Amino acid sequence: MPASNGKLRVAILGSGNIGTDLLIKVQRSPVLDCTLFIGRNLNSRGMAKAASLGVKVSDRSIDAIARDPDCCDLVFDATSALDHAYHWPILRNLGKLAIDMTPSRIGSMCFPAINLDDCLNHRNINLVTCGGQASVPLAHAISSVHPELTYVEVVSSIASRSAGPATRLNIDEYVETTSHALSTFTNAPRTKAILILNPAEPSINMQTTVFALIAKPHMDALTAAVRDTVRAIQAYVPGYELLVPPTWEDGKLVTTVKVRGRGDYLPRYAGNLDIITSAGVAVAEAFARQGRREPGHA
Amino acid sequence: MPDVLISDPTLRDGNHAVRHTLSEKQISTYAAAAEAAGVPILEVGHGNGLGASSLQVGLCSLNDAALLDAARAPLRNTRLGVHVMPGFATIGNELTLAIEHGVQVFRVACHCTEADITQRHVSFLREKGADVYGALMMSHMADAATLVEEGYKMQQYGVNGVILYDSAGAMLPDEVRTKIAALTRGLGVQVGLHAHNNLGMSVANSVAALEAGATILDGTARGFGAGAGNTQLEVLVAVLHKLGHDTGIDLYKLLDLADLAEREIIPAVPTISGDSIASGLAGVFSGFAKHVKRVAAEYGVDSRDVWFELGRRHAVAGQEDQIIEVALQLAAAAGKSNGEQ
Amino acid sequence: MANNDSIRGDLRGAENGLAGRLDALRDGVLLVTGGTGFMGRWLAECVALLNDEHGYGIRLRLLARRARTFRETTPHLAERPDVALIDQDVRGIYELDQDVNWIVHAAASPDSRQHAMDPVGLLHTIGLGTHRVLESATTLPALRKALVVSSGHVNGPQPLDVACLPESRHGTVDCASVRSAYAEAKRYAEALAAAQVVQKRTPVTVARPFAFVGPYQSLARPWAMNNFFRDALAGGPIRIWGEGADVRSYMHAADMAWWLLAILVLGGPGGVYNVGSPEGVSLRELAALIGGLFPGGREVLMHTAPHQAAHQSAFVPDVTRAAEELGLAVTLPLKEALRRTLRWHQDA
Repeated sequence: MPASNGKLRVAILGSGNIGTDLLIKVQRSPVLDCTLFIGRNLNSRGMAKAASLGVKVSDRSIDAIARDPDCCDLVFDATSALDHAYHWPILRNLGKLAIDMTPSRIGSMCFPAINLDDCLNHRNINLVTCGGQASVPLAHAISSVHPELTYVEVVSSIASRSAGPATRLNIDEYVETTSHALSTFTNAPRTKAILILNPAEPSINMQTTVFALIAKPHMDALTAAVRDTVRAIQAYVPGYELLVPPTWEDGKLVTTVKVRGRGDYLPRYAGNLDIITSAGVAVAEAFARQGRREPGHA
Repeated sequence: MPDVLISDPTLRDGNHAVRHTLSEKQISTYAAAAEAAGVPILEVGHGNGLGASSLQVGLCSLNDAALLDAARAPLRNTRLGVHVMPGFATIGNELTLAIEHGVQVFRVACHCTEADITQRHVSFLREKGADVYGALMMSHMADAATLVEEGYKMQQYGVNGVILYDSAGAMLPDEVRTKIAALTRGLGVQVGLHAHNNLGMSVANSVAALEAGATILDGTARGFGAGAGNTQLEVLVAVLHKLGHDTGIDLYKLLDLADLAEREIIPAVPTISGDSIASGLAGVFSGFAKHVKRVAAEYGVDSRDVWFELGRRHAVAGQEDQIIEVALQLAAAAGKSNGEQ
Repeated sequence: MANNDSIRGDLRGAENGLAGRLDALRDGVLLVTGGTGFMGRWLAECVALLNDEHGYGIRLRLLARRARTFRETTPHLAERPDVALIDQDVRGIYELDQDVNWIVHAAASPDSRQHAMDPVGLLHTIGLGTHRVLESATTLPALRKALVVSSGHVNGPQPLDVACLPESRHGTVDCASVRSAYAEAKRYAEALAAAQVVQKRTPVTVARPFAFVGPYQSLARPWAMNNFFRDALAGGPIRIWGEGADVRSYMHAADMAWWLLAILVLGGPGGVYNVGSPEGVSLRELAALIGGLFPGGREVLMHTAPHQAAHQSAFVPDVTRAAEELGLAVTLPLKEALRRTLRWHQDA
């Protein structure tokens, strides 16, 4: 049921950096409307930002939705993996669509450049990790040219300043969830994910490298597939850029991308934040457009 | 009673120098001799530690379990140690495996300004009753006050000591003295130094650290390690004994151990090449050495330019993928076609 | 259930006549922030005893950020009809239920690992949380007293020539050091309490807890005593890192719970009371005591490095004020406290 202005009504659960960056992107969208911004503490910077944008706020966490189920059609969960496990059964019972920004591994993994249409058949969408959003579509493109590849590895370097206490505490979850997504979206029997924090000042942009082991690489086909994927991602992440095109080096395939953020809520170096919130908004917009095509669906 | 704790990472740092190809036989042979010499701690693994075997920093010919078992078998009094970097090694995989395979001493390592990524790993290991040390890598890249606060975080997480890694061999004795003294003043746990020899300073730096209050020092047989290598263990121990310190190590047997290492596991004893000097001056991780040499040759660029450009970018350990990007850029700037793609 | 019985037994043993002195709590509503932590659980256990065995009829409300997890970890308390859980961030408190009579503000983890990792969040939670709780308390029509749980760390490092720290000693904390974040936040909380008493006439008392031992305390925290227990439980030697000359004191949690309730009820507005044991013990002695609890004992290994003697420290309260003004006493001596704690860990 769309809002009176015809937009899909969205609630954002979690008022930290991810939630607030989502808010700014949602409010810019022609098809989405944030009807409730929810945190636990009205004093937080995110809450103040939401209030300044004239968005209705609540400090009652998931209760805010349970008490007023008609407030929204879709809920972004930008809290934590632990909290999402508690929130999802409640949201499911209320018939809400959920887009989960945490590495909870509960919903269907979504990479808009790979499986956006398929995801619209699911009710709970998981955005995996920032490094996953930057790398899995590339790995998927490589794997589709060379399904016989034997190994895929991704390395993401991010600016120290873009990694808050939650990221630092959950570095193992990042590594395991990203590696799991690589296994799911490629044919590689073995996968590995690595995360590096770099404290250089001025802060570095997020940089992600994909490596693959392939017996006889078709470089032209690989280059074309990777460039197509980069273009597809650029449609929803404008700061996504191919830095090192597919290159054969010392018996392995290497390709590197750089992600500059849009500078919505955090500075531009925080491309790692921007890529996952941009992907989340792309999924929500797809749901909104689907709802328009099929009235009453959402 | 030893007053300096010596840890020997020959079988870990040395792996950098042979592209992580040390064999089980080489490992167990060296471990048996280290045990005989009374080396207190023997570190083994991929050059970047457990879980680091990767295209990014180099694949290891043995898996972690095989490495650990080969080293563990001959050890009785010498304790088995490993190096782990959060972001590469996870609690569920490598740390659990290491505990199961009899590892007793852990160095939980991170770039010197990122101590808080070690909290969960340190906590897990403490709960398992392991002997845990914090390793602040590339410690030439942060000032003394920052190193003290990062070391303090590790102390709060529960480490038994904090070790500064001069991973690029970039420090001179005065800098070592200042930083180690700040740590011994500011922390309530033991302090140590892990030196590299890019500028020929590793033994001098180790002695400077000792004078400033360090009680843990690292060295490898013949200095076996990436690039210019590490502090030469047998020289370090001889110097410590001459200074009147007790390491608990039998010097003759240690000298035999180093001879054995040169015979059995070291294809080329480290020397300070032009590349190593550039790496030390640029302050770039010594572990990059093999990669820089190879990539520079492939793209026809001057390897020294690659080192200095990496230094300008403040590359940290684990960012080996930057080497290719830098080489491509230098090649493009020089108007050369690299013939690849 | 045996474990819950042993906690009840600990509390009965430490009661020391207090069940007859806390009548003011009868039929009242007690709100505990940070209610699902170590202190909150012990306060809940103590209230349960007062209700079950002395007919107090206290209605207890435990407020915490993830109060729902309490249902899984501690069902025997969470499911009691006289206990209610409130899932809320302490910084988000704007008003409290009008029927609240008593408040214990115990929110803020004492986990030094979190303090090191997120000092900004720590300052925010303690500063703003205390502000919100006291501001809301001021508007409660039926409020009898609020207790702000501070910390013995407000004193800064204890001078080595002082055996026990009295409340009257104003220590030195380096406010420019990030390491002082916890102490400074607690000093702010105390200053806020004092200001509320004078400016708003809110009845607030302050407790300064030191170190404790007992059930519900996770051995995961990197404290010397936990290391000793873990080493000993694992069957190995007890390892001491450093000189082992540092002096600490440990009060059993059952004494702590009674003392906190007594200070809440009996302490005067504006009063400040240390909570802890005045029985100082060096870490070396502590390791030997813990080792001695095991049949055949446990070896104690020293991992001493030179230069560490300079880091010797002490953390022991003077509790004369609580004894003289409120008639409180430590009922469980250290050795007995350790023995009971060990039994709980062995049964867990």
